[in-house]
Amino acid sequence: MFIDFFFLLRQVGISVSPTSFLKLQKALSIGLITSLDDFYTAARSILVKSERYFDLYDQVFAHHFKGAELKEPDEFELSQVARAMLEEWLKDPEGLADALDIDEDSLNKLSPEELLKYFLDRLKEQKEEHHGGSKWIGTGGTSPVGHSGFHPGGMRVGGVSRNKSAVKVAMDRRYRDYSQEGPLTQAQIGEALKRLRNMVPVGPKDEVNIDETIYQTMKNAGEIEIVFDRSLRDRLRVILAIDNGGWSMDPYIELVQTLFSYARAQFKEIRTFFFHNTIYDKIWEDPPRFRKPLSVDDLVRFDKDTRFIILGDASMAPYELMATDGSIHLEERSLKPSYERLRFIAETFPYSVWLNPRMSAEWPYTRTINMIREIFPMFELTIDGLEKAIVHMMGKK
Amino acid sequence: MDNASKETFNGASRYVLDDELARIVNISMALEMPLLLKGEPGTGKTMLAHAISEALNMRLIVLNVKSSMKLVETLYQYDTLTRLNDSRFSDSTRDVSNIEEYIKMGKIGQSFVSDDRVVLLIDEIDKADTDFQDDMLDVLDQMEFDIIEIDKTIKAKNRPVIIITSNAKKDLSDPFLGRCNFHHIAFPDQEMMRRIINVHFPEISSDLLESSIRAFYRMRDFRGLEKKPATRELINWIRALRADPDFKVKDLVKGEAPYLGVLFKKSPDQAIARNAAARMRI
Repeated sequence: MFIDFFFLLRQVGISVSPTSFLKLQKALSIGLITSLDDFYTAARSILVKSERYFDLYDQVFAHHFKGAELKEPDEFELSQVARAMLEEWLKDPEGLADALDIDEDSLNKLSPEELLKYFLDRLKEQKEEHHGGSKWIGTGGTSPVGHSGFHPGGMRVGGVSRNKSAVKVAMDRRYRDYSQEGPLTQAQIGEALKRLRNMVPVGPKDEVNIDETIYQTMKNAGEIEIVFDRSLRDRLRVILAIDNGGWSMDPYIELVQTLFSYARAQFKEIRTFFFHNTIYDKIWEDPPRFRKPLSVDDLVRFDKDTRFIILGDASMAPYELMATDGSIHLEERSLKPSYERLRFIAETFPYSVWLNPRMSAEWPYTRTINMIREIFPMFELTIDGLEKAIVHMMGKK
Repeated sequence: MDNASKETFNGASRYVLDDELARIVNISMALEMPLLLKGEPGTGKTMLAHAISEALNMRLIVLNVKSSMKLVETLYQYDTLTRLNDSRFSDSTRDVSNIEEYIKMGKIGQSFVSDDRVVLLIDEIDKADTDFQDDMLDVLDQMEFDIIEIDKTIKAKNRPVIIITSNAKKDLSDPFLGRCNFHHIAFPDQEMMRRIINVHFPEISSDLLESSIRAFYRMRDFRGLEKKPATRELINWIRALRADPDFKVKDLVKGEAPYLGVLFKKSPDQAIARNAAARMRI
C-alpha cells in the first residue's frame, strides 16, 4: 500500500529506506492506524528521520493525499510574508524599497495597514506573473521570504526577517547548509580521519589497571596492591575553516559536505569557521557570515597544538590576497592584506594545512594558489591528499 | 494540538502532551521500536519519558549518556576489585569462585532483567561516539547481550519502552536512525506555553501569565543569543517573579525585565539581553 507515496518521497530527496517502509506496513497491518491523521504522524515518525525533511514531507503528503499542488503559496502564507515584509520595512525602509524597486517616499505616507495591503497586492501580482518560479516570493527554492510553517534547523529564515534585506540575502544563497549528510564516500573519509587522533592520559588516576594490579599483588605475596592509571582521552583540537562563499566553490560542495559531516561526528573538539575566498581580519562561526565573527587576532588564545585545517579553492584575484583592503565585500575593511593574515595563522599554528578541492595538476595555473602554497602546505581534497595531510599534521613539530 | 488524546498514553499530571506526540509514542510502543526525540533543550524531551512512566505506571530507568561511556558499562560491570578483595580477606558472604556474584547490571541490563515492563530513557545519546550508538542499537534490537566473564546470555524478560533523546549536536548515523522512530519536538508556541505554565502554576493570575509569556518570547528573539531561554527557564523565572514581593506585573508591561540571570545563563547573553531590553523600553 502507498507505494506511490513511498517513491514520491524518495523522488523529492527524502532518504526513506525500504525497511522503514515495511515497518509502516506492519503498523498498518496491526491496525494501529485508523485515520489519515494517524497515518500522517505514523508515516512521518517511521519514514522521515530528520527534521530537515519535515517540511518537504508535509508538501509531499499534501500533494499525494489531498491533491494539493506542490510549492504554491496560499492566501495565508502570503499574508505572513506580507507581515514579514512590513517588519522589514519598519527596520530598513531603504533596503526594501531598493530591493523591490519601489519609491520609498511614496510608501512613507501610508499607514501600516495600508502598507500591509500594498505588500499583499504586490505579492499576489507576483504570484500570477511568476507562477511557481524561483523568484523572491516562492515558498520553495532559495527564497527566505517564503514561509511554509514548520521548519527548524537554523538555516532558513522562514517568516522572520533578519537585519539585511531579505531579498538580498536570498540572492546571496547564504543558507547553504553544510551539515547535510554527505554522499557515500563518508566511510572512506572517516577511515582517513581516524588517524588524526592524539590519545593522551589525562585526568585523575581513576582507572584500575587489572593486569598490573594482579601482578603487583602476586609480587606482594597476595597482599593486595591496586594500581590505578589515568584514562586515555582524545585531546586533539581541530579548527576547520571553510570557504563557503562565491560560486567558485560551488562544484565542490558535496565533497565539503562529506568532510564536514564526518569531522563533526569524529572529533569532540572541533570549531568550524567560515570565510569567503581568503581570510582577513575576521572569520565567522555562522555559515551566512554575519552574526558571529571572531577576530583573527583572537586565534592566539587557542592552544597552539590545535590542528588548523583550511578548506578552500584558494582561487581569487591576486589583489584580494595581496592588497590592503582586498576583500570583495565592501563592509569588510582591513588594515592588513590577507597574505599577512594567513602567514600569521600559519605561525600561530604549526600544525596547519590547506585542503584544496581542485586537483593538484591545476594548481600551477592559478597565481593565488602558488602564493598560498608558500604559506601553507597544500593538499588535494581526495582520500590520498587527506591521508598525506594527516601524516603531515601528526608529524613531530 | 488542542484536544488531549484518548489513546493509551495521554499525558501525565505535570506534562502537557500534544496529540501528535501521543500518537507517535503509542505507535512506537506497539511496533516495539525505540523512539528518538530531537529538539532544542527545554522542549520536554526528557520529561516525556517521566510522563510515560507515570502515566503507564512503569518504573523509569534513566541512562545518562556520557562522552567517555563504553557500551559494556551500560550492560553490566564485573567488579574485579571486590572479588580480589574477597579472595584476600574471606570475610564476605559472597562465593569467590562464583563470578556471577560480582556481576552488576548496568542501566540497560537492569531494564532487561526487570520483572515488569519498564521505561528506559537513554538521555542525550549524541554525546557518545558513533560506535557506541550503533552497538547499543544492536543490543536493543536483539534484546539480549552476553556476559563474557560467565558465558551467559541475558535476554530481556520484557521489552522495555525505549525513549532516546538527542540535542542534535551531531548527526546520528544512518543505521541508528533506521532502527528508531523519529520525532522532532518543536519549541512550544505561545498557546501551548500558556497551557504548560498553567499546569505548573494552576493559580497564576492571567495578567502575569500573559505578560511574562509575551516578554519571554520577545526575549527569545534577541539576536545573537548563544543559548535561548527554554521552558525550564521560563518556569523558574515566573517562580522568581512570584517570590519577589516588590514585583508588579505592570513592570513587565513597561518593558522592565528583572532577574535576567534566571533566563540567561551565559554572561554574553545577559549583556545582550540587558541592552536589548533597555532599548525596548524606549
